[in-house]
Amino acid sequence: MLYSLEEIIETVSAVGVSTFDIRTITCGINILSCADSDVKKCAQKVYDKVSRVAADLVPTANKLAKKYGVPIVNKRVSVTPVALLASSFDTPTALPIAEALDKAAKELGIDYVAGFSALVQKGISRGDQILMNSIADALCSTERVCSSVNIGSSQAGINMDAVYRMAEIIKEAAERTKDTGGSACTKLVVFCNAVEDNPFIAGSFLGTGETEAVLNIGISGPGVVRAALESAGPELDMGSLSELIKKISFKITRTGELIGREASKMMKLPFGIIDLSLAPTPAQGDSISDILELMGLERTGCHGTTAALAMLNDAVKKGGIMAATYAGGLSGAFIPLTEDTGMCRAAEEGALNIQKLEAMTCVCSVGLDMVTIPGDTSVDIIAGIIADEAAIGMVNHKTTACRLIPVPGKKPGDYIDFGGLLGGGPIIEVGRHSPGVFVKRGGRIPAPIHSFKN
Amino acid sequence: MEPRKERVVITVMGANKPGILAGIATSIAEAGASVEDVSQKILQDYFALMMIVDITSANCSFEDFQNRVTTVAERLSSKAFIQHEDVFKFQHRL
Repeated sequence: MLYSLEEIIETVSAVGVSTFDIRTITCGINILSCADSDVKKCAQKVYDKVSRVAADLVPTANKLAKKYGVPIVNKRVSVTPVALLASSFDTPTALPIAEALDKAAKELGIDYVAGFSALVQKGISRGDQILMNSIADALCSTERVCSSVNIGSSQAGINMDAVYRMAEIIKEAAERTKDTGGSACTKLVVFCNAVEDNPFIAGSFLGTGETEAVLNIGISGPGVVRAALESAGPELDMGSLSELIKKISFKITRTGELIGREASKMMKLPFGIIDLSLAPTPAQGDSISDILELMGLERTGCHGTTAALAMLNDAVKKGGIMAATYAGGLSGAFIPLTEDTGMCRAAEEGALNIQKLEAMTCVCSVGLDMVTIPGDTSVDIIAGIIADEAAIGMVNHKTTACRLIPVPGKKPGDYIDFGGLLGGGPIIEVGRHSPGVFVKRGGRIPAPIHSFKN
Repeated sequence: MEPRKERVVITVMGANKPGILAGIATSIAEAGASVEDVSQKILQDYFALMMIVDITSANCSFEDFQNRVTTVAERLSSKAFIQHEDVFKFQHRL
């Protein structure tokens, strides 16, 4: 046959048995042309533009999913950071923009729309201030709008005023959605070294260095890697294990490349990048933690976890890079807590704690993601957690982020369920000593020296 | 230059019973598509059929073709996957 039976079975079973999917096709849209000093007029222009440019996104994705037999789970839109538009508003709120984005997304059947964002690594402008002051309102009153704020970079250092303000916003957003476990915080990311072409929610936005409109693809596939490791058994040495992961990563990325190219042709929009990521879901077996344990760890979080994750992350990139014309975004293995049942189990059993999670974020994408912490965690402590995570990104020239959910009324060991792809998990303990004086000093942690690397 | 062929890979799985291959082949013929390659295996009581089919000259759209074949497979208590060839080409050929 043109293809061997093994090849055909491998492709068919990747979806049927191993939960392979394209996690997202994200249409980035530049909305700077919608600028207006009247926020309501601006909102109308944003609504019109998003509705026009992304009109065919959902039908295109559904058609391609059917044609190639690969589910495309999320159809998303990202826009230029809204803070750039907010700088010219004559009223101090950007909420109507979030409402316009939400309305457009609902009407088009788009799962999430992101870019209610600001980049404040070096300083907070008037537009940034308006945007940041509107985040809690936007997240609590809309369904599909996601927000992100970049508070640090390797070039600029860490803006500690912004860190503290974001900690306050996280706390406020959680309190205002206490009936749903602080669910507003699942749509809010605080970044260091944010990237301009990330297709993954909640931290997606279209950078100002990007084109007018673009399609970016985020792949998934922990289940496929797990299935291969299961059949390979425990005898493989590290080199062979890495080879095996590279081959699978190549194949799943190739599928993303095919979908991206075809979607680009159908929508007449440029194909931007593929994000070479392993993104888990709460589905059984679709877990990064399961892969780490199959590599030989008794439980994720035990000593050796950081090394195993480093190897996995590197192999995914090495395999994927040759399959993609342009790689970009966050590219790496994601280790969200609540979205990965294996991670949750490790945390429940006490094998995985926040300190180990933080260490793991040094070697993979993207940070303390979907981490559910006690509801009574203070703003000072949240600011401390954000600053630590940002420091890892700043010093190591990588993207790091925090998507923290201080779940109101919950204590360590309690459980919270957000439903759907967001999953649910245990509340994990955080340090209880206060970094209050440090995080309230304000100003900016200067950018680190980029030489004398040790 | 010869126009590019549009091919699909059909995989059918289910409990073995008479007439599965015949039923699927008939629905392909009725759609005006042509079978280029077939492989069929019986493993214990299970039936697995793989076909490469040229749909360039089919008398219906890709979606219609998918629907017709899956309906026939379901009637024969089997499950059919009809995927465009490109997904196999992209994964398995450099």
